[in-house]
Amino acid sequence: MVQYFRNVKEGLEAMKHVSVLIVLMLSVLIGCDSNSTSHVNEKKITVAAASDLYQALTEMGEQFSQETDIEVVFTFGSTGMLAKQIEEGAPFDLFAAAHESYIDDLIDKKSVLADSKRNYAIGQIAFMTTGDGNKVLDETDLQNDDIKAIAIANPEHAPYGKAAKEALETWGVWDELTPKIVYAENIRQAYQFVESGNADVGIIAVSLMVGSDDNYTVIDDDDYQPISQALGIPSQTANKENSQKFADFITGEKGQVILEKYGFGHPEGEY
Amino acid sequence: MDAIVTPLFLSIKIAMLATLFSFIIGVLCAWWFSFYKSKLTEFISILVTIPLILPPTVLGYYLILLLGRNSTLGSWMERITGDPVVFTWKAAVIAATIAALPLLIRPIQSAFESVDIDTIKASRLDGAGKLQELLYIILPLSYKGVLAGVVLGFARAMGEFGATIMVAGNIPGKTQTLSIAIYDAVQANRMSDAHLMVIILSGSTFLFLYIIHRWIK
Repeated sequence: MVQYFRNVKEGLEAMKHVSVLIVLMLSVLIGCDSNSTSHVNEKKITVAAASDLYQALTEMGEQFSQETDIEVVFTFGSTGMLAKQIEEGAPFDLFAAAHESYIDDLIDKKSVLADSKRNYAIGQIAFMTTGDGNKVLDETDLQNDDIKAIAIANPEHAPYGKAAKEALETWGVWDELTPKIVYAENIRQAYQFVESGNADVGIIAVSLMVGSDDNYTVIDDDDYQPISQALGIPSQTANKENSQKFADFITGEKGQVILEKYGFGHPEGEY
Repeated sequence: MDAIVTPLFLSIKIAMLATLFSFIIGVLCAWWFSFYKSKLTEFISILVTIPLILPPTVLGYYLILLLGRNSTLGSWMERITGDPVVFTWKAAVIAATIAALPLLIRPIQSAFESVDIDTIKASRLDGAGKLQELLYIILPLSYKGVLAGVVLGFARAMGEFGATIMVAGNIPGKTQTLSIAIYDAVQANRMSDAHLMVIILSGSTFLFLYIIHRWIK
């Protein structure tokens, strides 16, 4: 009995320590919180963007922030995944999709404001290789035995992956190459698969490779459906004015110059 | 630097809140499971252990069904707070709480079960109520198990990824936790950021476990 009593006493001691620890943790928590709220900038927009825009939009965001004092935060991902999240009410202020069909679909579902759709660019795909494989690639090279893995974005929910699949189907090699194909969650991940040397070849957005020392060969755009990129403003945004400003920047002259620099084509009928 | 510090603090905040919630739920569950065994507790015990074995994506899927805007609970909460729960840090806390829960309950429950029943009976004889029994007898006698549970739960909450990215997304400054920021940095080929975050996460987890390990001894 004495032993139990001692154990209980020891345990109560330990519980005091635990309570001190909990108080300590809570104070850190409150500290973190006030820290994060002080960071809250009223002039800030969160942009969901297709990952092919990683380079171009990051540059645009910096330039736009300097000019307007509106901070832009990006979430890059596959267009399909982001569209699903916007449909579920994710708190984005602007959605730059890699294909206009996703914007149309969201407008039908009332998740994106009907009058906010703007086409801003036409995307392009290319073969990408790394290291010694300096040779210019075409579809016949893909069948070589020393090419073990071909990275593309998932055609189910990434427009650039869909374009890659269409090109492979146009050349009649899709069925034959299926065992070699590695699906990435989005085009930026497919790029990373090749860049890190884990895939031998990738069919990647040109916009991710411009300005880097990657080897790439642009694929003839007759071989796949045009990647007609469009943006829209999600209906639930509380920052409509600021998102509209950034949308105007992207479709305006400055934005278009940057998009052109990264290998995008101009959308028809605009600019 | 903000690209690392912001997710780090967010991770700590989410993991702490998740540990706190799962600690409260976990202690109550362990108490119930240990001392009031029945067919029902057996069933619920299995239910709360499931997140330990299921892939996090399945947990994320269930959470979207449960909390999504089109779900009953989700739309009800949206009506009260004015904002959807999904894709906020609150959703990340819910995901981490559920993921951490089984890791807390297991060690706490086995510690509770090893408390000598005579001691509990003695306290009852002296007139202790159920709550006093839990607070002054059962918990102090099993504090090592409780600590082990809290450490494991916190570590699991810090590392939660799969369910979190499904229900909370990857929004920098809002829902981008450290583990999601690492995933994002690797995708963007920002390898030096990824290296640093991986080192911070592994180092701090090791240090944390080491301190607790020494403490329990």
